[in-house]
Amino acid sequence: MNVKTRKITGQVILALLAFYLDGLMKWSFLNNMNTGDIIIVPQLMLMVMVMLSMRISTRRQLILYGVIFGLIYDSYYFGLIGLYTILLPLAMVGVDHYKFLFVKANMGYEISIYFLALTFVQSGVYILERLLQQINVNAMDFITFTLGPTLLWNMIVFFILYIPLANLSDWLVKYRRDSK
Amino acid sequence: MQKFFSNKKLIILMLIIIVTFGLLAVSVNIKDKKSTPPVVQQVGNDTVSIVGGIFAYPTNAVKNATSEFSDLYNTYTENRRLKAKIGDLAQNQARLKVVQEENKKLKEELKLNATLTDYSSVNASVLSRSPSSWQNYLTINRGQTSGLKKNMPVMSGKGLIGRIVEVDKISSKVELISTNNELNDKFAAEIQSTNKNITGVISKYDSDSGDLVMENVTSTKDIKKGQKVITSGLGGVTPRGLYIGKVSSVKKDNYGMTNSVYIVPAAEMRNFTVVTVIKSSVSGEE
Repeated sequence: MNVKTRKITGQVILALLAFYLDGLMKWSFLNNMNTGDIIIVPQLMLMVMVMLSMRISTRRQLILYGVIFGLIYDSYYFGLIGLYTILLPLAMVGVDHYKFLFVKANMGYEISIYFLALTFVQSGVYILERLLQQINVNAMDFITFTLGPTLLWNMIVFFILYIPLANLSDWLVKYRRDSK
Repeated sequence: MQKFFSNKKLIILMLIIIVTFGLLAVSVNIKDKKSTPPVVQQVGNDTVSIVGGIFAYPTNAVKNATSEFSDLYNTYTENRRLKAKIGDLAQNQARLKVVQEENKKLKEELKLNATLTDYSSVNASVLSRSPSSWQNYLTINRGQTSGLKKNMPVMSGKGLIGRIVEVDKISSKVELISTNNELNDKFAAEIQSTNKNITGVISKYDSDSGDLVMENVTSTKDIKKGQKVITSGLGGVTPRGLYIGKVSSVKKDNYGMTNSVYIVPAAEMRNFTVVTVIKSSVSGEE
């Protein structure tokens, strides 16, 4: 197995790990089934995807990742195909498109990009589900009880995980330097 | 014409919109009308759930351990309270056995094979919960091969927690009773009062208080706080006699027109890792 294949396998495993952690985190300690209006949605997979899109330069690979992981996410967690399948690749292409604006990736930039991507994906899911009458939550309730807490929680997690995650994704993407 | 199609970005945008709504419309229709998703999706979900099991077992073990720790903390007071109940329980158990046998004999006499109260059950462990704001789904590790079907009710320990919305081959999704969704199916329930049983439909979930809301109640005269609420078995999907919770209050709606009964759910919705799926012996009309 050459270095490139190994690194890509590593990227896929990291994304899958984040995928399972999303469900397990929601299940194990964000599990407010009995009381409370506040809904927090862990979005670790989106976090990993944003980190990878900041570093991977081939757009085809990004779209492929977005569609495949979005499809798994939709099918396994939502039972509705078409939410993350579309929104995740769109968010990743958006990050890829505007990343030339940043001369050097640092924590401040990446945290704000993740913030925008998260807002885009969560609002997209809300609007699509609202259009298809899967939910009956009004926009104000969505912003106060879902989007706000979700953004806050994920920002804190991003802040904590930034250094290991950034180093790991740096290492997973830069394979050309190793092969030479 | 050539000018219209020359704008590549517009075409991509158009395609994205068509694909999004096409996919969503098809999957919503499949979810509403078919009893199972397409085979490809089933196999995909099963594969994901098998790998998910590897991550879920340690998580569930930790979860069990923490709930055991908090149980230990409450043991002393609970023990005193339970001791008072134990004599009563033994008496009730003996009586239940006699009544069950009597019931069986009477059913044979009447040539009744299955009534609304008959059911069998399957245990399953929870793999994960959907990281979604509104899809309150649990993924469990049993599916068609264990005989599960769409719309079967699911219990956890003490009470009802929801019903199955999607069945794959070896995994399925459970929608929690606390989902506030106008489109989802409701539970037919009844309140066990002294004179006669009052029927209604559990149709909403009050997220402020964490209570279930029962509507379309036949009369509110005999309803008192603390009365037990069970499934009524009407409608045929859910068997009769599954415990839901206790009445906490009766309120009028904003217009003062209808009465809503607020119910404290019996199922402790935080600390459980195993659920029980109830298979009704009497099947309703499709």
